[in-house]
Amino acid sequence: MDRNKICKWLKNPGKMAHKYSFHVVYFCTGCGIIEIPPFITARWDAERFGIIPVATPRQASLFLITGYVSTKTLKAIIRTYEQMPEPKYTVALGSCPINGGMYYDSYNTITSLDKYIPVDGYIAGCMPRPEAIFIGVTHLWKLIDMDKADGYQRYREDYVHYRANQEQLYGKMDWPPLFSEENI
Amino acid sequence: MQISEIILSSLLALIIGIFFLGLARKIMARIHWRYGPPITQPVIDIIRMFSQKGISHGSIFNFGLIFSLTGSFVVILFLPFGKMCPLSSGGLLVILYLMLLAPLGIALSSGEAANPNSSIGVSRKFLLALGYEVPLLLILLAVMTHYHTISLIEIVRIQANTGWSFGSLPLVLSGIAYFLILPAILGIRPFEISGAAQEISSGPKVEFGGKFLAFSTIQHALHEFIGISLFVNLFLGGWDLFGILEPISNTVWGIILGIIIFLIKMVIIFVIEIFINAVFPRFRIEQAMKYLWKWPTLLSFIGLLIVVLFN
Repeated sequence: MDRNKICKWLKNPGKMAHKYSFHVVYFCTGCGIIEIPPFITARWDAERFGIIPVATPRQASLFLITGYVSTKTLKAIIRTYEQMPEPKYTVALGSCPINGGMYYDSYNTITSLDKYIPVDGYIAGCMPRPEAIFIGVTHLWKLIDMDKADGYQRYREDYVHYRANQEQLYGKMDWPPLFSEENI
Repeated sequence: MQISEIILSSLLALIIGIFFLGLARKIMARIHWRYGPPITQPVIDIIRMFSQKGISHGSIFNFGLIFSLTGSFVVILFLPFGKMCPLSSGGLLVILYLMLLAPLGIALSSGEAANPNSSIGVSRKFLLALGYEVPLLLILLAVMTHYHTISLIEIVRIQANTGWSFGSLPLVLSGIAYFLILPAILGIRPFEISGAAQEISSGPKVEFGGKFLAFSTIQHALHEFIGISLFVNLFLGGWDLFGILEPISNTVWGIILGIIIFLIKMVIIFVIEIFINAVFPRFRIEQAMKYLWKWPTLLSFIGLLIVVLFN
């Protein structure tokens, strides 16, 4: 640990701890989930970066969406995202969540994930290799340092907009809004 | 003097417990041929959890967690830490009572969360507690009968004069039985039944987030400290190391060296437990009960019989 880091730790321990301890919920959609087991096990060892998988969204701080998002799984993604405690970060893998990828004209697949939940960063590729996930994580560190990984704040501020997009897709949704007028 | 001992021993127990969590992750990583996280990783995790916004599920949810944390801290005050023991009245019987407070608090808290996974986890936790409490009771009975005292400080002092009870003939079976149930007390891998992440989404902890998860992690660390330090005090002679502290036993250096020897013994036992954790798969709950009520209970019962016959 260099001296620079110690100053940062003393200045803002919460932010530094957010950088170096990601508890991750992997959402197994599509082909990206195949890249995750080598990423967390002995071949590439994500734990040396402080990244470990957890079983429930309540304990998590990073949400990895690994691949295309169909209309049906988007519902589960929204619920999982809303259950995570703030601050929370979302990273989407592959080209499918960016613009649909090879499913760009599918009737059943979301073309742009960012319309429904805020995404802090994309890792492009079809599929990105495990090294690319490490590069994505180090970019996320930089974003957290510059306070630019503010997806959870955007979700809070523009909740009406996001909820409208979700309701446009599903009609009436069977759970109440996360933020009402007074706690935004 | 006593107040400073209370603060010092609970603080040391907290630090050692969290250090154990980090050590466990590092050793597991090295066994997997990975580099592993830095040893301070649990501290970073706990800082992050405290800075996250946890969601409470009601007043019992908060109360149960505080209850279990308090229970763990109180047990630590009754355990001799080297030569330091803040509270001593009641001895082993009080420890036996208070050791159940921690799972009880977690159960209250998780029951309030109303998640099916957490209720399964709680029921498994209590079944497991029932499994290891029977041999633990027999072991403690054997130790108390052998030394004619219920005071843990007295037991450690007698061991310093007459040799460790793990090496003495009447108590060796009880010692082996305690070592066999130690993974169940710590909740590590052959008996990682209640907190199984892949099976029931980490069991009782499933609804804990933010600061609640941080408190639950601290409670887990304290619980590991309690299980191992009870073993070291009962069977490995506490602060004693073949009488080398005899000439300086009443000085400050004697007390500090006693604590260091005690901690080294704890680390050795913990590393052995981590090796067991690394190589064994997880039992199902009925397999665990069958195991716990068969071999450790049999051994501890024979140990009790031997102690009664010898005396």
